[in-house]
Amino acid sequence: MQVIKVDPDKCTGCHQCELWCASEIASEAKALPLSINEEPQPVPRVFVEGKPFALQCRHCEEAPCLYACPNGTMRRDPQTGLVYVHEPTCIACWMCVMVCPFGIITPSPQFKVAIKCDRCRNMGYPICAEACPTHAITVEERKDYRKKKF
Amino acid sequence: MKYVIVGGSAAAVSAVEAIRSVDKKAGIDLFSDEKTPLFSRVLLPYYVAQQLSKPLLNFRSADFFDEFDISAHIGVRIVSIDPGAKTVTAGTGETFPYDRLLLATGGNAIVPKIPGVDKAGVSTLKTMADAERILNLSGKRAAVIGAGSIGVESAISLLKRGMKVTLIEQLGQVLPTVFDEEAASIIQKVIEGMGVEVITGERATEFMGNGQVRAVATRGVTIDCDMVVLAVGVRPAVELGRQAGVEIGMMGGIKTDPHMQTTAPGIYAAGDVCETFDIARNTPFVNAIWPMAFEEGRIAGLNMAGHRAVFPGSVRMNSIGNFIGFPAMSMGVTHPGECSYAEADCVIEEIKDRTRNTYKKIILKNGCIIGAIFVGQTQKAGILTTLMRKQVEVTEFVPALMSKNLSFMDILPILRRHGDIFTEPEYKEIMDTGL
Repeated sequence: MQVIKVDPDKCTGCHQCELWCASEIASEAKALPLSINEEPQPVPRVFVEGKPFALQCRHCEEAPCLYACPNGTMRRDPQTGLVYVHEPTCIACWMCVMVCPFGIITPSPQFKVAIKCDRCRNMGYPICAEACPTHAITVEERKDYRKKKF
Repeated sequence: MKYVIVGGSAAAVSAVEAIRSVDKKAGIDLFSDEKTPLFSRVLLPYYVAQQLSKPLLNFRSADFFDEFDISAHIGVRIVSIDPGAKTVTAGTGETFPYDRLLLATGGNAIVPKIPGVDKAGVSTLKTMADAERILNLSGKRAAVIGAGSIGVESAISLLKRGMKVTLIEQLGQVLPTVFDEEAASIIQKVIEGMGVEVITGERATEFMGNGQVRAVATRGVTIDCDMVVLAVGVRPAVELGRQAGVEIGMMGGIKTDPHMQTTAPGIYAAGDVCETFDIARNTPFVNAIWPMAFEEGRIAGLNMAGHRAVFPGSVRMNSIGNFIGFPAMSMGVTHPGECSYAEADCVIEEIKDRTRNTYKKIILKNGCIIGAIFVGQTQKAGILTTLMRKQVEVTEFVPALMSKNLSFMDILPILRRHGDIFTEPEYKEIMDTGL
């Protein structure tokens, strides 16, 4: 499975990935100047915080959000292994928000859904990786960290 | 290898998916006494509110059983188990052999022994039949007995259908097992603002009426009503387990070990019917909530299929999302007083932050989170849930955890300190970047 890797030495905290995620993915207008004025405001799915570092959904192998979702809205794509929110059935109970170890799911009362990175599963390549001006964000094959597979 | 699953909800479905992830060929027979398969009980209030139609209550698609090659016996109740012969017997009289059996029978809604409780128009809300009964009641004035999660959601559902609703709770606050007094008072104001009449500190003593309920009497008041929803609690449905001879624990649920096995070899239990070790309370408990049922079902299924997996222990957690237009979450213990489970020499601290519309509280035991409440502002709550489940010391991080600008990056030092506890591959992936 392909995952996103962020190099903390290259991340400058410029927030470009957030801006592109919000305007390219989250907004209706798909253009930055218009997205800024959209109501409700588009929600980026990547978080640039701290050191700085860009943090997206990890698409966990054992995803707590998948187990917590009470109506099958949180799904895993069998082809790519990516975890995504099937928004039409989301009832905004936010149990996924309550269990995400990385805090990357945003409860949105405006959109009445849980908002989470889906690794741009309907695009060719993740927009945050494409937009990053220092190439801090790359895509690579997931390593197997488990000592023993089951 | 033959697997028999008694139950058809979260724990059962999760177990079946886990078994199939390692064993694609063995026969799996699943028995559910609900005539409507694969619906989510958590969503029944939305059905009663007429916000969701029946197909939208499903948490798996209708072809789930075919897709996973399960022999599903829908509407069939298992009435007895013979652990010696390793068979189960259905209400139809048919017997089915098993090598591994999962008891995922969930819970039974408690029907309080109050005079008049058997009058027409009085119903619990647990099964699809209950939901349909309530949906078809042509009342205008409802009384809901019990202000737990189900009671509050039922009250709001009936309000959304245009009824006048009174919510009656015997303790001094709404949601007594979910929130403390302060959080409960904020929630109570919200639901009163929506139009629900809330009466606390009153116990229903009689349901009055001639065959059809007409009023609820408490010690202090009498409420006119033409329908009643009973939401006074749920008890693990252990009848089958008891008959099979498995040990029932102190909290009334089927006792399980960390592999979700009962005291009878080859018989497992998961979900609302079982008791697991509660990490926050440090004692066995029944945590009858969806995420736990799902995780327990998964661990049970993996172990049943021969793969050793360990359930790390449960915690209680509840989330009221957008249903009342005001988010609130709670996990673990809510009152330091609940820590009668705590050893005498441990240190309990409570840290609170209250603004007009938000409330945040963390309870620490010896520096580890054992409970948290978020009202009005719930982003990143999962970080605290995880720190609680891992039981790591967080004292110096409390200001960050209480801040509304909490970020995962704030707890990196905790990850670095406890590499042996944060073993999930995703943590290693992040730390490997050099963070």
